[in-house]
Amino acid sequence: MRKRLGFVFWLAVAYLVVLALAAVFADVLPIKDPAETFPGTSKQGPSLTHWFGNDGVGRDVFSRVIYGAQVSLVISTVGTVLALVIGGLLGMVSGYFSSRVDRWLTATLNASLVIPPLILFLALVLFLDGEAKRRIFILVFTFVLLSIAPIARVVRAATLSWAGQDFVLAARTLGARDGRVLFREILPNVAPSFVSYSLIIMAGLIVVEGSVAFLGLSVPPPTPTWGDMINKGRTNLDVAAHISLMPAIVMFVTVLALNFVGDKLQQYFEPRESVL
Amino acid sequence: MKQAVRDQLGRIVAVALLATIAWAWFWRPPFSWTFGVLVAIGTVGAGIADGRYALRRIAGVIPVLVGVSFVVFALMASLPGDPAINILGPAATADQIAIVRTELGLDEPFFNRYGNWLGGVLTGDLGTSIVLREDVADGISRSMTPTLQIMAYSVVIALGFAIPLGIWAGYRQGTKTDGTINNVMLGFLATPNFVLAVMLVLFLSIGGLSVAGNEIGFRVLPAARYVPLGEDVVLHFKHMLLPSLALAMGQAAVFMRLLRSDMIATLRLPFIDLARSKGLPTRRILWRHALRPSSFTLLTVVGLTVGLLIGGALIVEFIFTIPGVGAYIFLGVTQRDFIAVQGGVLVISTLYIVVLTMSDFLYLSLDPRLRGREVGARA
Repeated sequence: MRKRLGFVFWLAVAYLVVLALAAVFADVLPIKDPAETFPGTSKQGPSLTHWFGNDGVGRDVFSRVIYGAQVSLVISTVGTVLALVIGGLLGMVSGYFSSRVDRWLTATLNASLVIPPLILFLALVLFLDGEAKRRIFILVFTFVLLSIAPIARVVRAATLSWAGQDFVLAARTLGARDGRVLFREILPNVAPSFVSYSLIIMAGLIVVEGSVAFLGLSVPPPTPTWGDMINKGRTNLDVAAHISLMPAIVMFVTVLALNFVGDKLQQYFEPRESVL
Repeated sequence: MKQAVRDQLGRIVAVALLATIAWAWFWRPPFSWTFGVLVAIGTVGAGIADGRYALRRIAGVIPVLVGVSFVVFALMASLPGDPAINILGPAATADQIAIVRTELGLDEPFFNRYGNWLGGVLTGDLGTSIVLREDVADGISRSMTPTLQIMAYSVVIALGFAIPLGIWAGYRQGTKTDGTINNVMLGFLATPNFVLAVMLVLFLSIGGLSVAGNEIGFRVLPAARYVPLGEDVVLHFKHMLLPSLALAMGQAAVFMRLLRSDMIATLRLPFIDLARSKGLPTRRILWRHALRPSSFTLLTVVGLTVGLLIGGALIVEFIFTIPGVGAYIFLGVTQRDFIAVQGGVLVISTLYIVVLTMSDFLYLSLDPRLRGREVGARA
């Protein structure tokens, strides 16, 4: 019996699609310029002309949230895809070729986990100089570094359980080379756990990017980022809470949707392991 | 050694660990002492639980520590720009730069510098901070107290939420109660801790949103500042509540989900049926019989999340202006003080490794079925 994914799942998917489209087409959509200050609207609450209100200097919060999505989504997507390719490959190799290769890879990956992510990040931030491009590069690089080990672990565990199956043995008996076995026999079976886990990793990266931006170390202004908006809004929290609240809500819903979709997909593909 | 004796000794060790922590809190000896005593007691405890395993595990930790110290040092050494110029500013003369470089030991080859630094680290000397002009080890041990406090409180709060909810949701698996608990916790899981912190400040300390002149929220808790425990106990906890809550709720969700799934698995086992048929009350079955065998994964993950907590503590310290280690490193980063940063990162990583290893040992002493077997407790 196949489980249904349910209405909330599709609602979450729809939200993510709309957000992604809005971020991609932000330049052609009829929204306000995120850098434009509207005179006399400083700290004004949500209204019909400015849906999410205006920030401390009178910029439109709604369009800044949309443009902020660009940074969050680009960095987390690129980071996740790269980490997925590298981590997935390492995990499959580690799970398939047991013994020595496995032991080395596992040890290295475990060792890479001993520096707490945000602290490692801070250490790497010392390499940042003002330039925005370089900053994005280092951000993505660190995020990839952070997510390789968790992904490799999940994939390794999945590979281990598939590599022992009869059809893999059959393929090898027929003389298939390791590469073929890995990519034609094992990969299709491991892929579902990849995909659902990658969404959860992506949600995690959005949070990390948000934290980094909150500390003022992500992409430098004037580029809007969610974390930075929430942080800057704190100074006006008592008089105009919406400046922090709006990006916070959008970020919360995005992370929630990603987690939810990832969870549901995992249950859908692997009902047995769905308990976690 | 007989198992019964071992179990008793294990309990004594646990009490000794807690006593050391309490001692450290009230008498505040130098941080390195506390740390040393904790490690020593932990090692003895591990040896009691399973001697050979403990030795092998500790032997495995040493290369990791050396590796981490090397990576941290290499990272800082390969920073672009001359640290001497960073200290003196762009207007410095060549002579001044040369003097500062000698003072920092920068004119020596890389491996000599690494050796010198490592030698210093082993004797508790992390160098002198460039910007603060202060001993880094002193600075870190001073800022360690608030950080450890936040982390400890938030683990306690997280477990306080997670254990009852996890047990209950597991027991009521598939019902509306289970669904509700799960969804609420999923919500907390999706809330980044800085967002939660800002929301907590908004709704609990500055009065919340005002809609048509009415406040939706409270002004019951202070929003910032750190009050040491020794100064005023009540104020201390009042000020620590919001930061700890902000850090705890995400962890609570993770813990609760783990405990729930393990509870479900445990409750299907035959010995639960036996307990039930003896007529034991449900509460007793859940708390006394099912909880212990269900809590092993949880325990390991509590150890693992210390890394996340440190990162989270950094954010929370930043928001609530608490002078912790995170704030210390953050200051170092923004002022390009590489000596402070490398000291801070090293201490935190070491702490994390030690906690991970300890949680492996704890795992071993809690689950008698695993003794004598290899445990890769990092799930």
